[in-house]
Amino acid sequence: MTEFILRGEALTRTFPDGDVRALRGVSIQVQAGESLAIMGASGSGKTTLLHLLGGLDRPTSGEVFFEGKPLAGLNIDAFRARQLGFVFQSFHLIGTLSAVENVQIPMFESDLSRKARENRALSLLDDVGLAHRVNQRTTRLSVGERQRVAIARALANQPKLILADEPTGNLDSQNQAEVLTLLARLRQQHGLTLIMVTHSPEVAASADRVIIMKDGLIVNT
Amino acid sequence: MRFSTYILRNMLGRRARTTLTVLGLAVGIAAVMVLTGIAWGFERSFQAIYPAKGVDLIVVRAGIGNQLSSNLNVNIGETIRGVSGVLDLAPSLMDTVSFEDANLVAVLASGWVPESILFRGLRILDGRTLKTGDGRVTLLGRVLALNLGKKMGDMLSVAGETFEVVGIFETESLFENGGLIMPIQELQKMMGRGGQVTGFVVAAVNSGDAESLRALGKRIEAKVPGVAALPTREYIAADLQIRLSKSMAWATMAVALVLGSVGMLNTMVMAVFERTGEIGLLRALGWRRSRILALILGEAIGLGLLGVVVGSAFAWIGIRLLLLSPNARGFVDPQLPPSIYGIGLVMGAVLSLLGGLYPAIRAASLEPTEALRHD
Repeated sequence: MTEFILRGEALTRTFPDGDVRALRGVSIQVQAGESLAIMGASGSGKTTLLHLLGGLDRPTSGEVFFEGKPLAGLNIDAFRARQLGFVFQSFHLIGTLSAVENVQIPMFESDLSRKARENRALSLLDDVGLAHRVNQRTTRLSVGERQRVAIARALANQPKLILADEPTGNLDSQNQAEVLTLLARLRQQHGLTLIMVTHSPEVAASADRVIIMKDGLIVNT
Repeated sequence: MRFSTYILRNMLGRRARTTLTVLGLAVGIAAVMVLTGIAWGFERSFQAIYPAKGVDLIVVRAGIGNQLSSNLNVNIGETIRGVSGVLDLAPSLMDTVSFEDANLVAVLASGWVPESILFRGLRILDGRTLKTGDGRVTLLGRVLALNLGKKMGDMLSVAGETFEVVGIFETESLFENGGLIMPIQELQKMMGRGGQVTGFVVAAVNSGDAESLRALGKRIEAKVPGVAALPTREYIAADLQIRLSKSMAWATMAVALVLGSVGMLNTMVMAVFERTGEIGLLRALGWRRSRILALILGEAIGLGLLGVVVGSAFAWIGIRLLLLSPNARGFVDPQLPPSIYGIGLVMGAVLSLLGGLYPAIRAASLEPTEALRHD
């Protein structure tokens, strides 16, 4: 029997304001080490699905399982801190902090000492090719560099899963290609499972598997 | 990076907001510290008057609100002297006079019997003390002489009467240093209070024993109806001016706490609102609610501590400026002992908690998706 790292069963999500049914009974399985792209038009429910899989939101009905255990039974903060790394379209970096400080933010929820946190952040920034920019405030970095800082931050607590919401949505084609190459290399290097929400056919083409959503349902896989 | 570094960066990253909040807190804290310092100095100065003279009890009219308005017949002094346990006593008439040319109002004028126990602890800096048989002469306290620009041998107009300055004195008390002393009969004449005194100071046989002093006071009150005979410490604590200055300090503290906590609340609510997306990110990255709470409260405490530091500096400067002012010199002796810095610190902590707790709880209760959507 195939072991799934992440599994969603009959997931629905209704938002009370406006009675919007963003998901209407979605089931999904993700294998460990797999790279999955979720595509679909705006409003198709792909970001809502990503949020449910990442424990950022709770389904109205249905259940998400991580390594066979329901998320509802886990300490959700600890799950997000230790098992997941998030990459967002708009980077969500903290402008008052430098690149190396941004990467350390998730590590406050780990048992690492201050020195160990700093060393790990420096090593991750070196890994994404930003060793020369570690002390720069993120507001002074280019958009491509910012996304690389965000990717380094996603790896801070050595997660098993990376969830990326439009990871190249704000990047030009050259930066997009560089970020995709970087994600592919890091996935292999760290043995990660990668789930990406995207509009981009190039991003989808880089994934092992693509699912397409429409009106809150998976219509093609 | 330490957790505290993140807090500090958040404060430094919004300098205008941090500066304005700290200034607002500092002004409130400084006002409370200065007023408490004035009240503290006021009481301390009063407390210094009597021990140096060996005075144990003060006898004034019972039931009066303001000690200066006490009015007793000078002849009851002999009755009090006959009470067992009284070693010595002296009548004292106190009133206030103004020197408007020098912009001095409510200067303490004391009428004393020359060579009485009230002159103990008086150091004559220039000239001589009062002696039996003196008429229109006066002694000026060091600060009053300075404020009036008078020296020994000068003539001085007091409430329309002319007096010769025969000496300049100094005591441990700021009030006495800022006032003048004349023979009691001259002040009685000048104020139209012939045969009247404000009260009597009494030296007891058992001066160190609080219980004996209270018992002596009771005996005097029993012997002379209508008087209150209080140990000096209780008399000072009941003084209207001291009670007023303490009340003002407490009232200012209450107002400063309300205004300061509203200011802090406003700042921290705005901080949480501006950073909803950032807080959502932290929650998405797995930060516990308690850590978010600590982050926002940490910022409020940081602002409060900065307010205490700047407020203490303002208070220190304010007190020095007050002492340079001719209107205040000789009338107030503000002090900033460590306990008043402690009051400032406690105030800063209370303001931080009052103003920071609600925004911190609100930030900690944000759901990650709701907060991330804010951006």
